[in-house]
Amino acid sequence: MSDSILLTTLDEAMRWGKGKSLWPFTFGLACCAIEMMSAMGSDYDWARFGADVFRDSPRHADLMIVSGTVTKKMAPRIRRLYDQMAFPKYVISMGACASAGGPYVRGYSVVDGVDQVVPVDVYVFGCPPRPEALISALKQLQDGIVSGKVKH
Amino acid sequence: MIPVESESTSKEGTKIVYVSKENLFAYMKERKDEGYDILLMVTGIDYKDHLEVVYHLLSTSTGNRLIVKTKTDGEVDSVVPLWAGANWHERETWDLVGIKFKGHPNLKRILLAEGWVGHPLRKDYPLDKKQYVNLKENGEDYVSYDPREGY
Amino acid sequence: MEDKVIEVNFGPQHPSTHGVLRIKVKLDGEIIMDAYPVIGYLHRNAEKLSEMGAYPKALIYIDRLDYVASLNNELGYVLSAEKLMDAQVPERAQWIRMMLVELNRIASHLVWLGTHGLDMGMLTPYFYCWRERERILRIFDEITGSRLLYNYFAIGGVYSDITPKAIDMIKEFLSDFGSKLEEIQAIFAKNYIYVKRTRDVGKLSLEDALSYGVTGPLLRASGKKWDLRKNQPYLYYDQVNFDIPVRQEGDVYARFQVRIEEMRQSIKIAQQVISKIPEGEFYNKKFSKPMLVRLKGTGDSYVPTESPKGEYGVYLVGDGSTIPYRVRIRSPSFANLSALPIMLKGYKIADLTATVSSLDPVFGEVDR
Repeated sequence: MSDSILLTTLDEAMRWGKGKSLWPFTFGLACCAIEMMSAMGSDYDWARFGADVFRDSPRHADLMIVSGTVTKKMAPRIRRLYDQMAFPKYVISMGACASAGGPYVRGYSVVDGVDQVVPVDVYVFGCPPRPEALISALKQLQDGIVSGKVKH
Repeated sequence: MIPVESESTSKEGTKIVYVSKENLFAYMKERKDEGYDILLMVTGIDYKDHLEVVYHLLSTSTGNRLIVKTKTDGEVDSVVPLWAGANWHERETWDLVGIKFKGHPNLKRILLAEGWVGHPLRKDYPLDKKQYVNLKENGEDYVSYDPREGY
Repeated sequence: MEDKVIEVNFGPQHPSTHGVLRIKVKLDGEIIMDAYPVIGYLHRNAEKLSEMGAYPKALIYIDRLDYVASLNNELGYVLSAEKLMDAQVPERAQWIRMMLVELNRIASHLVWLGTHGLDMGMLTPYFYCWRERERILRIFDEITGSRLLYNYFAIGGVYSDITPKAIDMIKEFLSDFGSKLEEIQAIFAKNYIYVKRTRDVGKLSLEDALSYGVTGPLLRASGKKWDLRKNQPYLYYDQVNFDIPVRQEGDVYARFQVRIEEMRQSIKIAQQVISKIPEGEFYNKKFSKPMLVRLKGTGDSYVPTESPKGEYGVYLVGDGSTIPYRVRIRSPSFANLSALPIMLKGYKIADLTATVSSLDPVFGEVDR
């Protein structure tokens, strides 16, 4: 039954829909948030790629961009925000800090990698990554969702 | 006039005054009345055998600057009654360096989570001993050494 | 109905906290009775980490303090470090620094203006401001090779010389930014709703401002003519002409006016500087790259500079080794934010976002 033509086609259509209508979550942490805003802004305009509906509430959003250093004081709050998001939900870890602690990895109050707190789908490197890099990550995530490689 | 212990000059040419910690509040009050209307920052320095508190003062009417230093073993008088802005600076100094300010209205940790163990800017702070923060049911922070308790 | 004070949490995740600020607000109906800011959600140990490496290595962390105006941050650090090491800086390097710092001030104020618009419910100025800001970032990209965090100022000069192409880009930008700024200002100032929402909101009296150590545009909006570039000139600010904008009202609208006028003055300064940059070395040969990690400092120094947010400086204590003994950052946002409760008391909850964004807090700098 699960292999029937109707269901696979429906599944594909669902994946296509999920991938092409990502609603990101307005959630800036540090320096990378400014580059995230640049990606949203006039020159880079990532509305072209179908992810421009920035939502202020985690309940409405399905893409969390962790843009910046995650501190130990903030980490439980990020987990709580992630738990509040409705399925399907995806996470992009933007920048060296969010991915692995970055230059602050030796510090006493910095979490070395947001993947200890929430599951991450795409990592972007750079300190901070250029807006092009973030857009490329978004494209990767969309392709992954559409092809079925990325599960929520 | 409140007596000063010694005087010197910093590298950029600002006058440095050493005051004993008993005289600190009276000396600062005198400076405040003299026209030093801005307290720029409060710095705590750990010199291993003693602690030092450094106050940077600025007078916006004359443009004069003054640095006041006090040696202490861990407690000095708060200057919040003189400059309201000292509140956060003193809380930060308590948080990171561990200097107590007597008479401070709300001497709690400001940058780190409530319940953090130790003062990170002390030279003997163990950086390899990791602490983890998590939330209680009511939304307050708590700190533990157990990684399973974190996040 | 009996009177009841309720406590509302604002942040740490909120679209108009400019980062990760949390405010516990006590409300009586709509009126704010008391506000208690909670900070530290971006505490990144800049001071501790700077004490763990050689003098130039601290620049990494200094860059990331006020991440919308990194060059202003670097300037405060390198000036202090140069005083500590008695380093001479070539004239050309100083003029280059001055020009880039002014451009970065414009970029920083544009970020503020764009996000302030978002907080006040206007999306259009955000796109206008970002369009202009991207032009400045392209200039920085050409000169320093980076868009946001530059690590460009070095102890003893700057890391690389400016190119003729960059000079042309700067000239082109300065020639028409003035008219673009008029356009952006009109979006705000001719908007009746914006003016209504910001006049007589978030008032800060001069006595309170001084007592809380508030500096920068906030202090000037409260009626004090105090700008370190004029009052205690560093670099070559005594050789250029510019005015200090001052407003007496001390409300959100006054801060908006002061910052807009500051951008105009920055254009004026940059235009003068660009014709004055002399030929010569762009760094001191004694402080060439292999030497940088071997620099030693003794004594203590604090050189105050006027960053876009207020008085910024780094208090350095050296013990004669290659590693700074204590690095203390005087961050203007930290002091400015501590005055927030008195700006909020007695106003309505709807004025809260206007007041918070008028402070222009950057949390890399508040929490360090």
